[in-house]
Amino acid sequence: MNARRTLAFTRRTLMQFRHDRRTFAFVLVMPLLMILIFGYTFGGEVSNVKVEVINQDVGYVADRVINNTNHDTLTITMSTDTVTSKKLVDDGKTWAAIIFPANFTSNLVKYMTFNASATNAANSTNVTNTIAPIRPAVEIYLDGSNPNMAGAVMKAVNTAIINTINDIAREMNRSASEIPINVTANYAYGGENTKFIDYFAPGVISFAIMMVTTMITIILFVFERRNGTLQRLLASPASEVEIVLGYALAFGVIGMIQSIVILSAAILVFNITIAGNILLALFVVMLLAVGHQGLGILLSSWAKNELQAIQFIPLIIFPSVLLAGLFWPIESVPALLRPIGYIIPLKYGIDAERSIMLRGWGIGQIWFEITILVVFALLTLGASVLLLKRRG
Amino acid sequence: MLAIETEKLTKKFGNFTALNALSLKVNEGETYGLLGPNGSGKTTTIKILCDLLRPTSGSVKVLGKLLPSTVVKNEIGYMPQETAIYLDNTVHENLLLFGRIYCMPAERIEKREAEMLKFVDLLDWRDALVSTLSGGMKHRVSLACALIHEPHLLFLDEPTVGVDPELRATFWKYFDTMSAKGITVIITTHYMDEASHCSKVGLLRQGKLIAEGKPNEIMNKTDTKSLEDAFLALARGDAK
Repeated sequence: MNARRTLAFTRRTLMQFRHDRRTFAFVLVMPLLMILIFGYTFGGEVSNVKVEVINQDVGYVADRVINNTNHDTLTITMSTDTVTSKKLVDDGKTWAAIIFPANFTSNLVKYMTFNASATNAANSTNVTNTIAPIRPAVEIYLDGSNPNMAGAVMKAVNTAIINTINDIAREMNRSASEIPINVTANYAYGGENTKFIDYFAPGVISFAIMMVTTMITIILFVFERRNGTLQRLLASPASEVEIVLGYALAFGVIGMIQSIVILSAAILVFNITIAGNILLALFVVMLLAVGHQGLGILLSSWAKNELQAIQFIPLIIFPSVLLAGLFWPIESVPALLRPIGYIIPLKYGIDAERSIMLRGWGIGQIWFEITILVVFALLTLGASVLLLKRRG
Repeated sequence: MLAIETEKLTKKFGNFTALNALSLKVNEGETYGLLGPNGSGKTTTIKILCDLLRPTSGSVKVLGKLLPSTVVKNEIGYMPQETAIYLDNTVHENLLLFGRIYCMPAERIEKREAEMLKFVDLLDWRDALVSTLSGGMKHRVSLACALIHEPHLLFLDEPTVGVDPELRATFWKYFDTMSAKGITVIITTHYMDEASHCSKVGLLRQGKLIAEGKPNEIMNKTDTKSLEDAFLALARGDAK
């Protein structure tokens, strides 16, 4: 193994990207486009959802809930006519009608009083046969045709109710747990500020690097074979290990540049949070790139020309997009297909990146994923070396 | 000393026999032309000699070393049939890569690069992207890449295919210069006539050597005026 020779291949490949601006642009712009398009499509928080609010409550609680509603998420029009408001939902003119009934406050008060006396009764073992009063309720008439919109409405109303109840409890010097519909959210990781894009960005980075590296290596190696340069390298004193490592280094570097660009865009445009070590995140991406570069060399040997080479692309992309946990967790993949997900190396790249970026985990907690990626890289690079060593 | 010595070299691809017990001897310093029609086994021979293919049976010695040998790879230069240079790199970057592959020190690469660019008349194109060059220029860059490390033995696989007559003449001038420097050149071609530049030729047909010798000798033996006629005569089997 000669380091200078290995680096000669690396430098040659990197210079090629410097000259071929269009390919270099593809390498950087494609992942950028992916994060922007996916980010805006799935990651953007829903805002300005048109809703009608009908407040028939004679007490004061509904008013406070309405005031506590996030007015960025919901654009509220006050109304007095339930029938008309529901009709607007039916007609698709508005997403929801939120109705606070006349007894909203009184039911809440009754419920709280009942609960308090029930607690006392239990303590004094004086069993009284009382009928529980009706829980205070909000009626939401919802257009569920768009889950994103429906989810945003439900979340906004729930949050407003929780905040209001917490406020009231504080004012009355009572614990919020005595108040019905008390929902407290405890986050192990992330929190109310965690957006879908935070979850999505580590996946997109891994996916983009995997895709670009595999595609470009397949094409470059088909060229090497067809153009005779590979024959020339193999007739030279350069060893197969030096050739493969030279390429691997080049793609490692390119993968790093790609992820720096994507990460910067995700931070600047979507304000994503990175809880863990960014260098570790880059290291994982580099491992992914190197492994898939090996895969690209292997696949290229089954392609006689560039046309056959690009036929591999959908074959690689679809399982990775659907089964490797990019959009939805692998646990939600039908059991029959799940095993495929577990043998896709990208899955471990995505898992590792998410753990680093969202949970702030270190190498001690993601050693399993890293081991899998190292083994994958060693296998594909080793097989590539054997493939090049093979003489007809 | 013999630069090349093959012993009953046979290469089969499935049922097809590309080389049939070929025994070839090339002296050092010779310009040896391996002639024959398409499919006669010329490229297969060159690839076996460069250790890109392994023979089915028989043995090969290159510069006195039995193949496969890593040492010998430092001494040989190889120009494949295809363009075999990187199109998205400059002429300089291509030469630099091959210089580094042969572990030449930086100063020597620089010196040899200048010599090679002068030799193939591309001094002004050093920093041009190969993809912007004409076909003939690419061929010249490819030759320069095969020569940068001053090999003792040079394999040229069909270097004049698809090359215009003027450049072909130039190429033969290059090859004559190299043989004058004592480099052994093995060249394949199916343009029989240009092989009269060679000091020795071997005529291949269906993987067998059907005649070998100085071009004049072969023409005399077959009573023909050109190597092409000689080949056709030999193929018909009317050698004296």
